[in-house]
Amino acid sequence: MSFSELKDRHVAATAMVNTLRDRLNQKRQQLLDTDVAGYAKSQGRTAVNFSSTDLVCCRTLQGHTGKVYSLDWTPEKNRIVSASQDGRLIIWNALTSQKTHAIKLPCAWVMTCSFAPNGYSVACGGLDSECSIFNLNSQVDRDGNLPVSRVLTGHKGYVSSCEFVRDQDTRLITGSGDQTCVLWDVTTGQRISVFGGEFPSGHTSDVLSISINSSNSNMFVSGSCDATARLWDTRIASRAIRTYHGHHGDVNTVKFFPDGQRFGTGSDDGTCRLFDMRTGHQLQVYSQQQANNDQDVPIVTSIAFSISGRLLFAGYSNGDCYVWDTLLAEIWAFGGHRKVI
Amino acid sequence: MPGNQLVPLPQFPCSQSPTESMGSFCSRQQPLNEVDSDENIQAAEIDRRIAQETKTEQHIHKLLLLGAGESGKSTIFKQIRLLFQTGFDEAELRSYTSVIHANVYQTIKILYDGAKELAENEPNSLKYVVRTDNKEIGEKLSEIGSRMDSPCLTKEIAKEIATLWNDTAIQETYSHGNILQVPDCAQYFMENLERFSEVNYIPTKLLILQEDVLHARVRTTGVVEIQFSPVGESRKSGEVYRLYDVGGQRNERRKWIHLFEGVTSVIFCAAISEYDQMLFEDDTKNRMMETKELFEWVLKQSCFEKSSFMLFLNKFDIFEKKVHRVPLNVCEWFKDYQPMGSGKQEVEHAYEFVKKKFEELYFQNSKPDCVDRAFKIYRTTALDQKLIKKTFKLVDETLRRRNLIEAGLL
Repeated sequence: MSFSELKDRHVAATAMVNTLRDRLNQKRQQLLDTDVAGYAKSQGRTAVNFSSTDLVCCRTLQGHTGKVYSLDWTPEKNRIVSASQDGRLIIWNALTSQKTHAIKLPCAWVMTCSFAPNGYSVACGGLDSECSIFNLNSQVDRDGNLPVSRVLTGHKGYVSSCEFVRDQDTRLITGSGDQTCVLWDVTTGQRISVFGGEFPSGHTSDVLSISINSSNSNMFVSGSCDATARLWDTRIASRAIRTYHGHHGDVNTVKFFPDGQRFGTGSDDGTCRLFDMRTGHQLQVYSQQQANNDQDVPIVTSIAFSISGRLLFAGYSNGDCYVWDTLLAEIWAFGGHRKVI
Repeated sequence: MPGNQLVPLPQFPCSQSPTESMGSFCSRQQPLNEVDSDENIQAAEIDRRIAQETKTEQHIHKLLLLGAGESGKSTIFKQIRLLFQTGFDEAELRSYTSVIHANVYQTIKILYDGAKELAENEPNSLKYVVRTDNKEIGEKLSEIGSRMDSPCLTKEIAKEIATLWNDTAIQETYSHGNILQVPDCAQYFMENLERFSEVNYIPTKLLILQEDVLHARVRTTGVVEIQFSPVGESRKSGEVYRLYDVGGQRNERRKWIHLFEGVTSVIFCAAISEYDQMLFEDDTKNRMMETKELFEWVLKQSCFEKSSFMLFLNKFDIFEKKVHRVPLNVCEWFKDYQPMGSGKQEVEHAYEFVKKKFEELYFQNSKPDCVDRAFKIYRTTALDQKLIKKTFKLVDETLRRRNLIEAGLL
């Protein structure tokens, strides 16, 4: 077959895929008779019964000399690791606000960090396309820095996101600008599985965020510049379980809902969305009404759910932090930093 | 909007003990004066260390190299390394041997495949048809060039490559190299095949012959950096610079560019000889247009509002020769170009035209509040070490002047 024939066939196949995708979308719209908020209101649910003093800032942790890009808590929620543009990881005692460790990273361009379940290690990754692991119990060197205990190499693009697998201290999942996610064995430094990339059904653009299901650590979801989120089973690397469409821009952040049956996303299109993991339906859109044109819509950079899932915290590029009532899709509270979150 | 409650977020000073409203997380309510004093000492030590490191870093100026692929920016990076550091050590030089070999295979493959394609599609196709007895060599070399790991370059293969290179069809293809992705240093590779195929060939220790290393195209993933001081080692007499090259990231720049917010300067490399060439990733897109779009995009990024811009109009040596053969107006951006004469005058005229285009682009895309950021244009040929050294001295002067202005001393 000649090159131009192949090209024509490719164009035809792409058109076919797009048509099928549109039809699928239409079918979904037909089946979706209401969204979460519509249903909740029809059932008479009312706004959350807290008062404004129930949400207060209890700690401000100061010490970084640059933007804070990422942070993670230990499972006991008593310690925090944070990564910053100043090229450092800082470990904090969350209760006392004291710093327990400060690590000057070999590569200053860090984008993500994660605490190991046992609380003894932290991982970070960034523009160096590697994920570095530090053991907090190792001896510090002359400059007071912890040595790197392991480096996970193999990604061909920046590491945007990393998370230790909950019940296994030896496993870590990373998301990368090379469009893949990887499951690593931290003790050997080997890649156990690669999700996407050469294998079909992977993301078609940079992976920006991952979130492991708290109820079933074999499942994780990834968000990407291709405006989709994808669900993966770590035991099946060959294809994504499901792809979630709906956003109109980069999906910057994904987080599983506490019950593990659905997950939230935040995007460059300024909205957060709630997706049902099994059916793939978009359950709810959390969007600020904008009177002026689209160019001014702040993008969603980061989200988190409260323990019950009733509250969705969303950080925006203009420094605002909104707390959404996930059930009623209304903004419940508002606060902010001085700059981008 | 119904149900909204505006909650200002007050700051709690560290010495205050946790309040009731914090809920179950803080059940271990330890009054701070009972906290282990070791922890206090450790935390204070950390704070001290951070403060000291930050103070040292204030004297380091960060420079970010940006540019489209093939803009010559990685060569500039290597040049700076050669100029201000001790150059490459032998182990590293040796590691470049296989890179050079791989480049040779890739180059001849591009030429051979290119000749075949031109023979199929061009009207005057006969001149691109390779001689029958060279076809077998061509097919073999094309296959080798497509492999991930290239074999070593032996004398035998080097001879075969030389034979193919001398085929008139290949020569013809080379001179029409702009529509293919023929690397600029193709000729250099082909003319030095014998040397490259020596058994003990190491891109050599002699400084002059480090040209080999400069010519080799190496793909990096991640970010490379070098720290240097232009005026000798002494930090007192000169500024300390850290140059970053985010080389091999083939992904969405917008997702990591903000990491570089607040760098002292962006060094943007534009290969002005590329006005008639297409992209490697998309052969319908003109490289100069791509560079133009990229420059526009970089200028608009709020993270560089305070950074100086140094524009390197690179590959001038190739531009010089090309301008006579290929008119500037084949590139859409330069379509209003009127050639003036010939010879050296014409080259200068063409260069000034291109420079003006970039200047206009800069001012069109800089917001009013960026008016006092420094903007300088330099004519460079990345492979010319003396020129790079001179250019960098000028860059250093500009930045030092900038520093003094900002400190209110000028």
